[in-house]
Amino acid sequence: MSQTENIDIEFDGRKISARRGETVAAALVNAGILHLSTTPSGAQRGIYCGMGVCQECLVVIDGKPNQRACMAKIDKPVTVQRMSLAGTAPRSNTSAAPITIDDIEVVEPELLIIGAGPGGLSAAVAARKLGVEVTVLDERPVAGGQFYKQITVDSANAYPADNQHLEGARLIDQAVRLGVHIEPDTLIWGGFQSGDYVATNSKKTVCYKPKRTLIATGAYERGHIVPGWTLPGVMTTGAAQTLWRSARRLPAQKVIIAGNGPLNLQLATELTVGGAEVVVLAEAARTFRAGAFADALAMMRTSPDLVLTAADYLRQVKKAGVSTRNNAVLSRIEAVNGQLRAHFINATTRREDTFEVFAADAICLGYGFEPSNELLRALGCAHHYDPRRQELKTTLDEDGKTSIDGIYAIGDCTGLGGARAALSAGEIVGYRAATSLGYGLSTEDQLALSAARKTLARHRNFQDALWRVYAYPRINADLADADTIICRCEEVTVGRVLTEIENDCLSIGEIKRRTRLAMGRCQGRYCGPVLQHMIATYKGEIPNAYSGFAPRPPVKPIAIEDLMPGEKE
Amino acid sequence: MSGGKGIVPMEKAEIAIVGGGILGTVLAGFLAEGGAQVLLLDDGKGGGSTVNAGSLHVQLQSRFMRMYPDQVPAIERNLHLYPKAVNYWKELEKKLRADFDLKMTGGLMIAENQDQFEFLAGKCEREAELGLDVRMIERRELQGFAPYLGAAVFGAEHCAQEGKVNPLLANMAINKWAVAAGVTVMSETPVRSIGKSASKTGFELAIPSATIKADRVVLAAGGGNRELAAGLGLALPVVSEPLHMNITEPAVPIIGHLVQHADRPITLKQFSSGHVVIGGGWPAHLRQSDKYPTVELASIIGNTTLAQHIVPAVAPLRIIRTWAGINATTDGRPVLGEFSAMPGIYAAVSGDAGYTLGPYSAKILADIILGQPPCEDLSEFSPDVYHAV
Repeated sequence: MSQTENIDIEFDGRKISARRGETVAAALVNAGILHLSTTPSGAQRGIYCGMGVCQECLVVIDGKPNQRACMAKIDKPVTVQRMSLAGTAPRSNTSAAPITIDDIEVVEPELLIIGAGPGGLSAAVAARKLGVEVTVLDERPVAGGQFYKQITVDSANAYPADNQHLEGARLIDQAVRLGVHIEPDTLIWGGFQSGDYVATNSKKTVCYKPKRTLIATGAYERGHIVPGWTLPGVMTTGAAQTLWRSARRLPAQKVIIAGNGPLNLQLATELTVGGAEVVVLAEAARTFRAGAFADALAMMRTSPDLVLTAADYLRQVKKAGVSTRNNAVLSRIEAVNGQLRAHFINATTRREDTFEVFAADAICLGYGFEPSNELLRALGCAHHYDPRRQELKTTLDEDGKTSIDGIYAIGDCTGLGGARAALSAGEIVGYRAATSLGYGLSTEDQLALSAARKTLARHRNFQDALWRVYAYPRINADLADADTIICRCEEVTVGRVLTEIENDCLSIGEIKRRTRLAMGRCQGRYCGPVLQHMIATYKGEIPNAYSGFAPRPPVKPIAIEDLMPGEKE
Repeated sequence: MSGGKGIVPMEKAEIAIVGGGILGTVLAGFLAEGGAQVLLLDDGKGGGSTVNAGSLHVQLQSRFMRMYPDQVPAIERNLHLYPKAVNYWKELEKKLRADFDLKMTGGLMIAENQDQFEFLAGKCEREAELGLDVRMIERRELQGFAPYLGAAVFGAEHCAQEGKVNPLLANMAINKWAVAAGVTVMSETPVRSIGKSASKTGFELAIPSATIKADRVVLAAGGGNRELAAGLGLALPVVSEPLHMNITEPAVPIIGHLVQHADRPITLKQFSSGHVVIGGGWPAHLRQSDKYPTVELASIIGNTTLAQHIVPAVAPLRIIRTWAGINATTDGRPVLGEFSAMPGIYAAVSGDAGYTLGPYSAKILADIILGQPPCEDLSEFSPDVYHAV
């Protein structure tokens, strides 16, 4: 059994003991440092999304500004500084020769898969089995995505990997052994209608010209726009889960978890096992309602193991004495005497004073997800709005093909569906992309393909039942005050946006130009979908495929110096 | 804006302006202030002024000299308009009591070697003769004058009259003013065609699901002018040039001037918010499906790495957004005035630096339409030359 290796890092002059393989964010949070950056108005921000989306944990690492602490893996001693989001002073720098597109390396895989989560990996395995040359790109330091969140530190002694980790590890291992080319730590920042995709890692920028493309970019957590949601220490459930599942770190010793959906229950269990005190676990859905039994039965029939796992989580949470609330929505957060205080309302009546106020050092919010469909929309793939799920869905055929020839999409980026469905859909796409490239299916493959279709249908039934159990509508900005921030990056308030809407400015682009909402580093990922719903509600319409922002490359910020080949610092 | 999709707030206007860019909107405001009943129609696609990057150009842009050498005489003849146009921006900001983030920083066109420096020196001499406030700055002086420039910069031409404006702030304030002045705006309303009224005088504008009557019509639709004019049997040969732009995340104030290059397409400037805008003539393309201006990978790579070559401090900054817009030009001169062949139809094209020239061009055209004494020699701007050809 190996020992966890500690590496000393420095944060604003303070020495901090970090573990090799964890992120800068994990090390800092563990040291109790939640305030990582400061906004132009002077507000403190910290780790929020924990997955490279919100762009708020920006720090200066070894002199290089604008580094996401949640994505920067520690493999050597580094010096980290808190950063002003208004910008840092330039470094002394020598001129580098400009480059052109001709200087960019071109790679032409048969199948390019963007996203190494369950869907991407299972498609890679299926296609590779038939002989397809497959390249999988992923932004995170390790493959597995948000569901498999692999352990990146060596802590086998205290907290061994669980089944979910192991299932992911097996899938990654299978892909690697089959000869799938996996490129982690690679930022995919552009997709173009020409069929080109561009990605940058610490060594170079590569332009991919694949024969087929599979987009499997997953989802990110929806913003819960309530007073105080931008305070340091308030983070998404996924961010806290990444801290624990990948780095074996706790977001804080005392934690409040609030949201809608089973991930919050899983987090409560995990943090409890890790030694945190979960002050309260608040779920927006009601425990008992008509039809719940039938749904539970349907879930038991489709995926009994998942139901048993959930039951086990519940048992553990109860055993640890975690206080649980149902039909409760977090409505307000205040910072008082160095602690965060969470207020709740009754989820049905939306009235306050129903529940007591809870205090903790970190608050984890998990009120649903938004599909990461930026690449798909930038490419022009057709989408449609699903009023029942209140989200945009990618229009796909039964093989996972989008409206554009050669482009496939699966998993949560096409509309939330869960990891199991993504695994089956991945298998189908893998086979179908292979046959479209001229690879033949053996009888055995054909059986596997039809089995995958059946399994997918089963998982979708499970997911439908699960959603009925956890049914709760989008909250959007319903619980915000006029001075609550809606656009975290540009610090635009809900009141400012409402003024525009009430003045009959109902174009999302015009509101963007007038208020600067969505002009920041996260590119409107949190405010955009909420504003889209606010406008639609005002108009008395439902959103459509074109009522949101039209994404353009770069779909994630990319440093100019990282575009150029050669040794990077 | 008043009037949304599907609502026709005005069925008959004295003056209809097609195109709510900088020229059309300022013109609308002036005409309304002059007592006219004005309807401003815009397709809402925002391909031109609404996505402009905000450079206020005065010195001859080397890019146009390379691309259209035959237009240089026309641009030179009209060069005197540019400093007036920049001053006019200041007047407008004052008149509107607005904040456009207008900064008269001066502009630098840099040279990387002796050849480029000599090219600029020749250009500088000619521009000085034409009355611009320009001078050449050598490497040594430049180090103190613009310390953010990198080692690759050999020298530069400085034009004291250049600057920048934040188009988001300017457009918003101008739209608000125009509406307050009484302009009726129909946004997201494309004008499909214009025809003469069958029965009486005046014109009919076809918009989706309705027809609007107008006594007089101003063609201020940028690249769309060509087709609208052709529908009336008129020639207004506007060329649409789709251009690519980039913006970085904010940095502390670094870049003091509007920066351009003697031999390569680039403009580079920093807004007060700290964001650095990098553009200046890298190509975008019109998407096949709907002719929407669309960004290009080659332009992201080429334009931004050229920027860090000139100003190394931008190298660690991340590009957070790109967009594309359309530069609409004719033959190097503004085209402003009534078509003799069809009284009541006016051309409104502000020239090769359309955003810079926009408000001043609007003033010139407003004087023409309102019958006020002209502030410039109008023969230079006549649209009739094309008809003659």
